[in-house]
Amino acid sequence: MSDGRVGRVGRVGLLGRASCLALVLVAPAILPGTLRAQDARQIVGEAQKRTDSKSQRYDGILQTFDAKGKTSEKRWIQDRIGAHGQSKVVIRFTAPAEVKGVALLIVNHPDRSSDQWMWTPAIERDRRIALQDRSTRFFGTDFSFEDLEERDVDQDDYTLLGSEAVEGVDCWKIQSVPKPSKASQYTKAIIWIRKDNYAYVKAESYAKEQLVRRLDYGQISSVQGIWTARELKMADLKRGSVTRLFLDKVEYNLPLKEDDFTLQAIRR
Amino acid sequence: MATHPVPIGRPSVILLRLISWPYFRKHGLRTTLTTSGIVLGVAVLVGMHTANQSVLSAFSQTIDRIAGKTDLQISAGENGFGEETLEKVQSAACVGVAVPAIEAVVDVPGQGNLLVLGVDMTGDRSLREYDMEGGEDTVIEDPLVFLAQPDSLIVAKAFADRNRVARGSRLSLGTADGEKAFTIRGVMKSSRLADAFGGNLAVMDIYAAQKMFGRGRTFDRIDLAIKPGITADTCRQELTQTLGSAFDVQAPASRGTQAESMLSGYTMMVNISSAFALFIGMFIVYNSFATAVTQRRSEIGILRALGASRSQIGGLFLGESALMGLVGSIVGSAVGVLIASAAASAISTLVGDVYGVARQAMDVATQPLVLGSAIAIGVTTSLVAGVIPARNAARVDPVHALKKGSYQTFSMGESRLRAILASGLGVVSAACLTAHARPIFYAGYACVIVAALLIAPLASLGLASLLRPTLRWLRPVEGALAADSLIQAPRRTSASVAALMLSLALILAFAGMARASYRSIVDWLDTSLNADLFVMPSPRLDLRTTRFPAAMAAEIAAVPGVGRVQMFRNGRITFRDKPVMLVAIEMNSVAETNRREPIAGIAGAMYRLAASGQGLLVSDSLAQLQQLTVGQVLEIPAPRGGIRLPIVGIVLDYTDQQGSILIDRRLFIEHWGDDTVSDFRVFVAPGATIADVHRRIVDRYAGRRTIFVLTNEEARKYILKLTNQWFALMNVQIIIAVLVAFLGIVNSLTVSITDRRRELGVLTAVGALRGQVRRTIWIEALMVGVLGLTLGFAFGAINLYYMLQIVQRDVAGLRLSYEFPVTTTLVLVPAILAAAFVAAIWPAESAVRGSLVEALEYE
Repeated sequence: MSDGRVGRVGRVGLLGRASCLALVLVAPAILPGTLRAQDARQIVGEAQKRTDSKSQRYDGILQTFDAKGKTSEKRWIQDRIGAHGQSKVVIRFTAPAEVKGVALLIVNHPDRSSDQWMWTPAIERDRRIALQDRSTRFFGTDFSFEDLEERDVDQDDYTLLGSEAVEGVDCWKIQSVPKPSKASQYTKAIIWIRKDNYAYVKAESYAKEQLVRRLDYGQISSVQGIWTARELKMADLKRGSVTRLFLDKVEYNLPLKEDDFTLQAIRR
Repeated sequence: MATHPVPIGRPSVILLRLISWPYFRKHGLRTTLTTSGIVLGVAVLVGMHTANQSVLSAFSQTIDRIAGKTDLQISAGENGFGEETLEKVQSAACVGVAVPAIEAVVDVPGQGNLLVLGVDMTGDRSLREYDMEGGEDTVIEDPLVFLAQPDSLIVAKAFADRNRVARGSRLSLGTADGEKAFTIRGVMKSSRLADAFGGNLAVMDIYAAQKMFGRGRTFDRIDLAIKPGITADTCRQELTQTLGSAFDVQAPASRGTQAESMLSGYTMMVNISSAFALFIGMFIVYNSFATAVTQRRSEIGILRALGASRSQIGGLFLGESALMGLVGSIVGSAVGVLIASAAASAISTLVGDVYGVARQAMDVATQPLVLGSAIAIGVTTSLVAGVIPARNAARVDPVHALKKGSYQTFSMGESRLRAILASGLGVVSAACLTAHARPIFYAGYACVIVAALLIAPLASLGLASLLRPTLRWLRPVEGALAADSLIQAPRRTSASVAALMLSLALILAFAGMARASYRSIVDWLDTSLNADLFVMPSPRLDLRTTRFPAAMAAEIAAVPGVGRVQMFRNGRITFRDKPVMLVAIEMNSVAETNRREPIAGIAGAMYRLAASGQGLLVSDSLAQLQQLTVGQVLEIPAPRGGIRLPIVGIVLDYTDQQGSILIDRRLFIEHWGDDTVSDFRVFVAPGATIADVHRRIVDRYAGRRTIFVLTNEEARKYILKLTNQWFALMNVQIIIAVLVAFLGIVNSLTVSITDRRRELGVLTAVGALRGQVRRTIWIEALMVGVLGLTLGFAFGAINLYYMLQIVQRDVAGLRLSYEFPVTTTLVLVPAILAAAFVAAIWPAESAVRGSLVEALEYE
């Protein structure tokens, strides 16, 4: 799941700066389209790099509001380990009582769709979430199973559409189209990335030119040097419903074990 | 006088209006009775077929509605297959979406059957639309709770309304772990899916369903949608190659075809009953028209004298028979629909109990094709019945038109011709008996029926002549008059006798079949199904929804007083494109308890070979139906590699009417990866009492697991009840026979009295009392009954033989012994004679109430 983390800014040497300046001045005249694509990809890559961490944990509060205003709330603990795009994630529901203990294991891959499993303690069974099912809504929320996946920067093609301000903050507006090798329910997405800290602020997902979902990143703050959105609001524009995910007690680079991110582990 | 033929068309209509219509009005009762013959035949045809089709239609509808957008379904018989198959299917290139499913029918006490569909809700909505009540687009209020809590159910609104439950209600269902309360977390509005199984549908998580029904880690089937641009055939080929021959890959509609194939034996019996009913109806019509031609000879003569051509006369009578056939068929169709409504529920129960097709609430599906066909058949039958009388009417010579009597007799030539033809057909039918080819066998059967019909009038005449002295001895006046009426005018009554003969022959055939089946099944129960107790997950032997874990065998064996426990596992598979029952048993143990010698094979050797996995057994019924012999190698598809083994024995087994294949339990576990048990067969140890062991087993599992423990006697009663249901058709035939007797005899007597009006008038004029006239008519009716019974029993003895052959060859493969149903004949005799007497009451009264002067003037 894109959780709005933004990575640290890297250092660049003097020669590197001069070279970059030359490139910036000359390159657009020679390869205008390529440069734009690289810019867009570079921006997204940078945004991904700035959110990299060895591990992460947070307490999540998931609130669902349907079109009639009915709400429901669930809580979970999410653990994550590994580099962006090839990380492993475990989500364990902690409330309400009826769903306590249900766990989800997501194993992300940089070159293909993730593998997902769900463990149901009441019947002591795990089940694999098949690739074809990823478009299904995640347990009644406005996120789909696909939305929970981490997407590596190389899984999409990017085009810089320009700049746009979102809530008063200047952002890059980038179009992202899944590569043919990456199966997706979406045909494209438009993402807004803040120019000041490379944090995601908004993402709009399209299916066949129709806007179907909008994800807003809110309460962006720096946690251990990583810009983190503490509120994610996903709106399903067809249904008219909204899901809010609040991230509490966010921690990065804590000592998590690889063994805790296996099918055997979630069965415990 | 016209010298050229009158143009056809308008004159025919005129004739119908001016000649036929007044005749019908004048003889309203006879017209009604004649038409009733067609009504009866068509009603049985429409009723039986409509009810049968309704059952199949309801089954197909359920399949179709549950299938949703499914293009293909993958299954491996009733036993299911391992979960690992799902991933193989999902990774196939042609597959767009593939979701697993489990289907089970549970008996909800007091509320009927409920079809529980177990699906993986995370992906099933790609194939099925769950239209939820309240206009929500969400599947249920909280999908995560639905998955997290195994007691979650979605039910159809129709079921919810019938049982007064709603979202949040609790519903008790029997599970492998005992009766459990489930929570209804969603109600589906009326839709294609929700209306499946008559609205008695519930949906639950598939993994919860596995636990609930003791399915281990197996699925019943996988439903899939093909990727766009790929044809079903291409995908089927790919999947068959990937999965192997153990798996059926077919469109959902094919399952309906399979059910039809399963019911083919039952359908054949329905067809035979319908055909007989129509045949009988035809005879009633023939009788009436033949008599009408005789009575209207003078009318015909006048018409001919006025210039009507032979074809016009023939056309007139054919037109009358067609009109009568049309009216009778329409009324019969309406009556048939009413019969279907009444019978559909009974037939659904029968089909469910005997064939395992799940019972469900259903509407009677009247198909225009069935109604149209029935009307066409009824009209055709009536036309066929009217052909000979119409031909005879066309041949009436105007000069001889006033002659009577001689037309009611058989000429020597005709009698000889009948005898020769009947003999010839008899020889042909005997020759056909030796043929194995089905068309030849049935041609022979048709020949013997025609031979019986040809000889019936001559036999009636002969019998009547034989009975005359006896009747005269009993009642000198009335007896002689009644006998003379039959002897002098055999045509008047021969058709009624023939119709009665056919009807009784069918009853005797069914009764003989039922009796022989009963004996055979009882014998099998005594020798093979001889466990003292049966421990089952359901009170019904036909429900295979829930199974037990194998570990229970040791638990039951540990109960004091238990001497032996045998594990029994069964489920249908597809064998040579037909559903047959696969039975997995512990061969070594069964060898020690089975007291019956095999039909083929050596008992000791065959069980030893089967136990070591070197052979299999087949039921005699399957061997008969599919021409199997000992030594023949069979290939049986299985999820974990097919089985290819020789038949080492043929045994009597009534586990399933489609026939069964018996293998050792270890072989089943190896090839199906499933060690669950359908039921346990318990043998009580010496010195222990059955009642005590029964109680201990029940106590052992009280509160822990739902089990049903049947004694051998209770199991026998259940199985014999199913047999009785199958033969319940016979009761319908008995009613038809009595109706036929009644209609036929009333018809004959009415004609007889009209024909003999002058004669009866003369009798009265010379001093015969009314009582004597009445008794004459009564005795005549009883004689018709006696003739019908005698010929019916004689032909019935032959018909029984053919029916047993049909059962062996085509219906159920059962090799039944020939036993003439004496008990049935003892019931039929008073029933038919009583019907004959009742049928004679009104004609007798009308004979004595007419004006004497008019009677003497009647010509």
